[in-house]
Amino acid sequence: MEFDRFFKFSQLLLNDQFVLSYSGYVSEDILHAVGETLRERLEGHAKSSTQIRNVFSIFVELMQNIIRYGVDGPQPGPTDAEKPSFGIVMVADDGDHMNVLAGNFVSADEAKDLTERVNTLQACSSDELRALYRDKLRAPSEAQSKGASLGLIEIARRSSVPIECSSEDAGNGHYFFMIKASV
Amino acid sequence: MSDFLVDATSRTPKIELNAQAGTLLLAGESYPEDVTQFYGTLNENLDAYFATSPTALTVSIKLTYFNSSSARALMELMDRLDGAASDGITVTIDWYCDPEDDITQEFAEDIGADITNATLTLHDLDRDDE
Repeated sequence: MEFDRFFKFSQLLLNDQFVLSYSGYVSEDILHAVGETLRERLEGHAKSSTQIRNVFSIFVELMQNIIRYGVDGPQPGPTDAEKPSFGIVMVADDGDHMNVLAGNFVSADEAKDLTERVNTLQACSSDELRALYRDKLRAPSEAQSKGASLGLIEIARRSSVPIECSSEDAGNGHYFFMIKASV
Repeated sequence: MSDFLVDATSRTPKIELNAQAGTLLLAGESYPEDVTQFYGTLNENLDAYFATSPTALTVSIKLTYFNSSSARALMELMDRLDGAASDGITVTIDWYCDPEDDITQEFAEDIGADITNATLTLHDLDRDDE
């Protein structure tokens, strides 16, 4: 990477409003390390312990979704990882809300499926999300993969506004799927 | 049987299953790398404890945070405790929640509604417990 591109990247990221951002291959170890750092940062940024809890909770579910469902991107990933999952997670403070965004590569089918799941959750009231969570918790394992995952419902419940998503065609059969929650 | 004791880590709770006293405590954070393995070990020890035909077990849940995978494991744990209660063991579950954490309180309420033989009571988690 040349300095001009690196500088543009730094201008995008190194702003006070960004509490934390991570991009790269995601594993449970990275989730833990970045998660602990996020908590420390939130102590200085967040308005309340409830906001810290909700942001942290959304972050954990987003990272675990990337670990479980993310695929290797158009660029080949590390070969030593069991299942390389590339992703970007960002926590940004816009003054009113703490926004938590995640993006990762998925297949075309998964992008369509995930978008439908997010759209379904967007339309739910908090009581409906609670009931959905309860049903999902009790669902037998073969039915757990159908419909929104427990993690996605958790994200929707912890978000103060309806969760949103978008996806971009990244070529080679990959889509970059993006999701946003706000606390 | 001997006690089953696990120290807390930054992502797994402390577990104290005291066979003599008939108490089980779960306290701390729960987002283990391998949820199945972590709670599987607890379940094995609980089964061994129930096999000794105890009369009563008092369970305290003082979790400050748990992820959705742990939520499913906790639901299964509650089912196991409820099953032991239906076998005649007096099972009392005290679930301590942060009063400001509505979602965890709702989770405990929903779990409590599904339990028929054990007794589940919600309590406020003191900040000192965290």
